[in-house]
Amino acid sequence: MNKRADDSPEGVSRRHFLKGAGAAAAVVTVAKIPSVTEAGQEVSDDPVIVGPGSISIRLKINGEIREVEAPPSTTLLDLLREHHAMTGTKRVCDRGSCGACTVLLDGRTVDSCSMLAIDAMGREITTVEGIGTPENLTDLQKAFVEKDALQCGFCTPGMVVSCTALLNQNPTPDRDQIRQGIAGNICRCGTYQNIIEAVEHASRKGGK
Amino acid sequence: MAEEITIQVGFGDQFHPLTVRLQDGDIPPWQPDQPLDVVGQRKPRLDAVAKVTGTAKFSQDQQPAGLIHGRILRSPHGNAEIRSVDLTAARAMPGVRSALTVPDTFEDSTARYCGAEVAAIAADTEQQADAAMRAIVVDYQVKEHCVTIDASMAEGAPQVGRGEQKNVQRVSPRTRGRRRGRNADPDADRQVVEQMARREKEVDAILAGSDSVVEGTFRTQVQTHAPLETHGAVCSWEDGRLVCWASTQATFGFRGELTSGRGQVKASECRVLSEYVGGGFGSKFSAGREGVIGALLAKEAGVPVKMMLDRSGEQTSAGNRPDSLQKMRMGVNKDGIIQGLQIRSWGTPGSGIGGAGAHNDGIYQLGEIDKVEYGVRTNCGGARAHRAPGWPQGSVALEQMMDMAAHSIDGVDPIEFRKMNDDHPIRAKEYDIARERIGWDRTRVRGGSATICSGVGIASNLWFSAGGGGASALVRIAKDGAVEIRNGAQDIGTGTRTVMAMVAAEELGIPLEMVSTRIGDTNDPQGPMSGGSTTIGTLTPAARLAAHYAKKELLAVVAERKGWDPADLDLRKARVIRNDGSDTGLSFKDACSLMDDDAIEVLKARPRRNYAGFSDTNAGVQAAEVEVDMETGVVRVKKVVAVADAGKLINPMTAESQVRGGVIQGVSFALHERRIMDRHKGRMLNDDLENYKILGSVDCPEIDVVLVDVYNGKSNTQVMGLGEPPIVATAAAVANAVADAIGVRVFEVPITPRRVLEAIASNEKSAAQPKKKGARL
Repeated sequence: MNKRADDSPEGVSRRHFLKGAGAAAAVVTVAKIPSVTEAGQEVSDDPVIVGPGSISIRLKINGEIREVEAPPSTTLLDLLREHHAMTGTKRVCDRGSCGACTVLLDGRTVDSCSMLAIDAMGREITTVEGIGTPENLTDLQKAFVEKDALQCGFCTPGMVVSCTALLNQNPTPDRDQIRQGIAGNICRCGTYQNIIEAVEHASRKGGK
Repeated sequence: MAEEITIQVGFGDQFHPLTVRLQDGDIPPWQPDQPLDVVGQRKPRLDAVAKVTGTAKFSQDQQPAGLIHGRILRSPHGNAEIRSVDLTAARAMPGVRSALTVPDTFEDSTARYCGAEVAAIAADTEQQADAAMRAIVVDYQVKEHCVTIDASMAEGAPQVGRGEQKNVQRVSPRTRGRRRGRNADPDADRQVVEQMARREKEVDAILAGSDSVVEGTFRTQVQTHAPLETHGAVCSWEDGRLVCWASTQATFGFRGELTSGRGQVKASECRVLSEYVGGGFGSKFSAGREGVIGALLAKEAGVPVKMMLDRSGEQTSAGNRPDSLQKMRMGVNKDGIIQGLQIRSWGTPGSGIGGAGAHNDGIYQLGEIDKVEYGVRTNCGGARAHRAPGWPQGSVALEQMMDMAAHSIDGVDPIEFRKMNDDHPIRAKEYDIARERIGWDRTRVRGGSATICSGVGIASNLWFSAGGGGASALVRIAKDGAVEIRNGAQDIGTGTRTVMAMVAAEELGIPLEMVSTRIGDTNDPQGPMSGGSTTIGTLTPAARLAAHYAKKELLAVVAERKGWDPADLDLRKARVIRNDGSDTGLSFKDACSLMDDDAIEVLKARPRRNYAGFSDTNAGVQAAEVEVDMETGVVRVKKVVAVADAGKLINPMTAESQVRGGVIQGVSFALHERRIMDRHKGRMLNDDLENYKILGSVDCPEIDVVLVDVYNGKSNTQVMGLGEPPIVATAAAVANAVADAIGVRVFEVPITPRRVLEAIASNEKSAAQPKKKGARL
């Protein structure tokens, strides 16, 4: 029984990721590839050897099952951006230190640049595109707009995702908790204070 | 037909009349008593919804059909000549569509820093491009390198430049006739050297005659721009025409580089698109080698190429703020008046020589100044303009000197001391605001045996950003009432798009929601680069003029159809009104429907020159409050009060954001950021975002922004930009606050825990010995 994917709360241990990422340069990827039913239930948990060629990667993204052929060495970030044209999630540092690629995996934040797409199979993935649309903004997104919690906008999707996760876990965070909630997200323009105000505003309105 | 008018200029309760001769069909600026409906209101930016939903498409997000990926091979050596580059094996690798070498393309076979471009590949996937890069065979002649100014200035240091280029070269005062790569004409140079010697003597004498002389040696570090979207472009050739989705702060400049006869690309036609730009901070004026490489790789491949830098390339090769070493002596009399200032400063702009100056002789009345400045070549990535180039580093030195001078004359209050030597009318008021809001006079725990000490510091801004000629705007009013304003310049996150639309909405008497915008496209009217904080001052007068004349045309149509006097009509709150304010019964939309044509389109250029106006400069004062842990040396910036002015405020909300952003980058510069070079290998060690420390949310201080609205009369919108001014003073205010808290000065930025502890230790040591005469903070 392969337990690697359960080593960390996110289901992605650093050791596991490094093994997968290293394989990108080599030939094959050793991975747990669960088959996923329409209901999202795992039916198999045996490790298999895949790659280097493309395989079918079937993910549940923003509530929708989407399947694409891609090399198993593809990161979740690249799969979203390059294979599904979901470019809201940004690539900035490409090594898990800036938070611009943050997505939700079963409701928890992960850096999508630092996990393989195949490790997200069978999980619920939420990207910025799945949080609110221009026609139907969440209270948090409205607060970002009203409080000018963005400048160039490149960190903004990651910030929105991180703050959404924060409010899901703690609907009434204090200022320090908000600061901690976005501690993994770098904003170069300097919008932190506006973001803190936006989260407080959304929290007061009882929204997410 | 120049019209002469009298306007009111000033701010707060200080206004006076000024006579202005309007030029080039210009219209009078808004007056203090004039009711405005849109301008001056806090308006969310027009692209905010696109940005919070991830639907805003940056250059990095462009995916034209057939897109392939470009990668740049960089030199692993601190200093090398490229003897040869062999692409044969790389070209044969899977997926490779095009390749080039830097020596062939740019006729440059030097790789004078680790990270310098050597070759480039475009392949179907990034992984294929990476694999092909490993197959490129380069023969380097590796040479010795210097990666710090100390190493480069040392006796017998290896030569960084070529030919006769010296490692250390005087950049100010300048000798005329110096040509690139060559030394100055010896005769002209001798004259300058003689003048310098005379000047030095004069100021020496002035300092000798002053009641008090203070001196200090200050250092600041290299700071990288680190915009979150890296440099580069997605390049595509369509029927011989080049299209670039570029991450740039100068759409027209980018186009110029790719179409110029002197460039490597020489496209007969090029369209640059930059609707969204993920930050620039001064580093994105040029297309850069990556822009040229992208265009050339795409041409050879016959498909679009995405050539965006990776993070390492961004950190090493896409610009930085040079470091500085500044030695200063200041003479001051007991009455508080500064008599003179002597400055010797050095900075490294990389292997080039220009752009390393520190602005350390401005802002105040400093008496007689003797300043000599040197550029120091190092084997490092080149400097680029970085948000207020030269100013934050100069401010760190000058503002600490100001505090030291104040302290030396019987401990005059630093704010009062500045007032005695500062004639800026706006700043005079701003000092008082900063003093009150930071709690300057509150009792604090300072120095001594306490674990946590608290201190406050003050510093000033200065900037020159009223803009100038070089922008046109097009306003289009459609028959169905749709209004659009277009300009080809970019918005790098400052809020230019929104402000441009607000000005048009105000002039057209309609709500902002009725105006749509088109920006970041060189097919639209000429716009400025986002530089010198002049974008808004350059652009908005054109926007207002275009809106004004479009309104005139619309009202002429209304007057003709209704038999009214066009001179008696105006637009306000989306209604057609008469000059007495009464409603004509006609809405803006009704008025538009009276057109025969599909639309009214008016293209207007901004007047080339500004009016004399009230003040040529932005002022600004910042005060910082810090807490220092005396045991760990950790500095925490608790609060920064930033008092700022930028002419007439169009959108106080985005203006406030600009100030907050400047303060945050300033605190980051003061405490965290620095490029770390490995002096043996010659490479940058922290070419990433985890070891290159940028201030995060947890350490972000409370920032209290106070905006002063100034009717400066410089242009029809009276706007000044606010990108750069707020970063000038921050680090200096923090440094002064740290000295206030711990009772000893830290002369080097970033103010790291180690440096704080060293300063405290040296203070305790000197306290144990009898105080040397003249030893000052």
